[in-house]
Amino acid sequence: MNDSIPQAGPETVGNVRVPEPVFSCTDVNVHYGDKHAIKNVNIDIARQEVLAMIGPSGCGKSTFLRCLNRMNDTIPSARVTGRIALDGNDIHDKRQDVVQLRARVGMVFQKPNPFPKSIYENVAYGPRIHGLAADRAELDDIVGSSLRRAGLWDEVKDRLNQPGTSLSGGQQQRLCIARTIAVNPEVILMDEPCSALDPIATAKIEDLIDELRESYAICIVTHSMQQAARVSQRTAYFHLGDLVEVGETNKIFTNPRAKLTEDYITGRFG
Amino acid sequence: MNPSLVILLLLALVVVAFQVGKARSIEIVGGARGVRDLHSLPGHYGLLTAMWCGLPALAVFCIWMLAQDAIITHFALSSIPSAVAHLSPAERSLLLNDLHNIVNGRIDPATVAESTRIAAASYQSLRETAHLALAVLIAVIALLGLLYVRRRIRADLRARNSYEQVVEWALFACSGIAVLTTIGIVLSIVFEAVRFFQLIPITDFLFGLHWSPQMAIRADQVGSSGAFGAVPLFTGTLLISAIAMVVAAPIGLLSAIYLAEYADRRARSVIKPLLEVLAGVPTVVYGFFAALTVGPILRSVGETIGLNVASESALAAGLIMGVMIIPFVSSLADDMITAVPQSLRDGAYALGATRSETIKQVVLRAALPGIVGGLLLAVSRAIGETMIVVMAAGLAANLTANPFEAVTTVTVQIVTLLVGDQEFDSPKTLAAFALGLVLFLVTLVLNVIALYVVRKYREQYE
Repeated sequence: MNDSIPQAGPETVGNVRVPEPVFSCTDVNVHYGDKHAIKNVNIDIARQEVLAMIGPSGCGKSTFLRCLNRMNDTIPSARVTGRIALDGNDIHDKRQDVVQLRARVGMVFQKPNPFPKSIYENVAYGPRIHGLAADRAELDDIVGSSLRRAGLWDEVKDRLNQPGTSLSGGQQQRLCIARTIAVNPEVILMDEPCSALDPIATAKIEDLIDELRESYAICIVTHSMQQAARVSQRTAYFHLGDLVEVGETNKIFTNPRAKLTEDYITGRFG
Repeated sequence: MNPSLVILLLLALVVVAFQVGKARSIEIVGGARGVRDLHSLPGHYGLLTAMWCGLPALAVFCIWMLAQDAIITHFALSSIPSAVAHLSPAERSLLLNDLHNIVNGRIDPATVAESTRIAAASYQSLRETAHLALAVLIAVIALLGLLYVRRRIRADLRARNSYEQVVEWALFACSGIAVLTTIGIVLSIVFEAVRFFQLIPITDFLFGLHWSPQMAIRADQVGSSGAFGAVPLFTGTLLISAIAMVVAAPIGLLSAIYLAEYADRRARSVIKPLLEVLAGVPTVVYGFFAALTVGPILRSVGETIGLNVASESALAAGLIMGVMIIPFVSSLADDMITAVPQSLRDGAYALGATRSETIKQVVLRAALPGIVGGLLLAVSRAIGETMIVVMAAGLAANLTANPFEAVTTVTVQIVTLLVGDQEFDSPKTLAAFALGLVLFLVTLVLNVIALYVVRKYREQYE
């Protein structure tokens, strides 16, 4: 098929490891057919932290994000190698059920994608398929608290039976976040969650991310460096499939150590 | 000169006109280097000239050909005033028939009356003159059109826009033909149906429980009650369509789910064309398969388990009709399922839904309006289907819900009413139009609902 020997990329600048990580990734490589999309990436994701992944288009940041809950499984040509450990267990292990993995690692997508169901049923979907609620009252509780935590409750509490698609774009995205936290995951992956939203809706989501950080590890891919600076504690810079630099967000943006990172955040390309 | 020769002449003139127009536009700007000064490309000037040359002439040609026969016949008959003066309409039309037959060489002139021969000779000579006149007229009109445009060609003449305007009219005319045909069909059915309802009260037709359309031609004829209660036909149609949908809806839908969601590219590339072969089988082939194979099998199976199955049964016709509709349902449902955006599936997968849960609760839910629309279209096909039921369902207008009995459908009765000798003043023949009208209205309503549902769904995701 292609050369299976991973090309050794440049060493990542900065400290990729953290104590007691949620995710610990070692030598992760992703191939799409002949394309080597992710090259030897090593990185940890810490608890109660927002990790921002930035980089120019096509640098592999979304691809890497999709490795973490094995969403790349749905793409037939994608091949992922290397070790990705969630709480110390390899997610590619044969004993690991991908369905359970995705219940523990939630995901919010670029474009809001509410199901063609009512607002209530959108949030109740995850708890239902995983049997999280014993009865209707408990399900009501889960739906209510998820919507509250997503900051959507006050706007929708009177119309829970209306279709999810009747909401505005920003509300839909918060509905998708509510849907994700209703399953009570450990990690939430966000793939450019604000790129289809206006600035006000974006600000709401960013506030929400900041609150959610207390309960979840969050990994966010973003095209907006301002957004990365606003919401994240650590930032990872990807370039053409290489993880170039990882570091504390304020240091990366004020004092990048790698030349490529500096060029990107000073706007020389991107 | 033969009319087809006239058309050839016109075509030749059109080609010449194109070249003339093109050459003229280039000449006006002083050669090929000046083409950039022209408003349009030289070809557009050619096309404009060709259209002015061809279209008016063609219109005149059509009108002429439509009117020619009536006018020439009139003159030919006036050459024998004494012979036509006292003819009844029927005799007159007989005379005209003879006349045309002689002119076209289908009968020997010696066999008809002297006056007819004279009229025929007159007709023939008039026709030759007319054709010659037509040729000259067409040539003159075409040349006038050509010269008119050639004189108008200037660098700033917007030939491209004029040409595109004409193309737009042509497109409009083509769509108009389809609409006019539909209107024509509807009107022809409606008028005959109204005549039927003048003879038979509409309530008897819609609510009568007995169908026996044989009419007595002589007063003493037996067994010809002439009952036109269409309820047994409606129930028969419903029964067979229901059986067909019971077969086609689940099989078509489930195979669409398999093809769209589970099958890998190899399986899909084999199964899909095979399903489409099923759609390509002529319905008459399905018909004799149902009548000669499935009917007898059902009958013998029925015998072994102690059921009395008629050899022409609603079940046989319905089953095979269902098989016929499977590819229709499946390919429509397949389209609808494939149109559900991947992002919805991703959303469900990301919550930890399995593929089956995703399909059942998200994909099918999203595709539901489209699938319902597709099923409604399939129902209207089942109702309108004729050949299978003619061959496999029988003619007996039984009012029954038993699928093992022979029933008959609206379409079958229309066929039997209109096959063979007809008299268009008898309710028997006119009943076919009333049935056709009802059938048309039902399928029209179903199609409108289905298309509305499908379109509403489409808007949501595109």
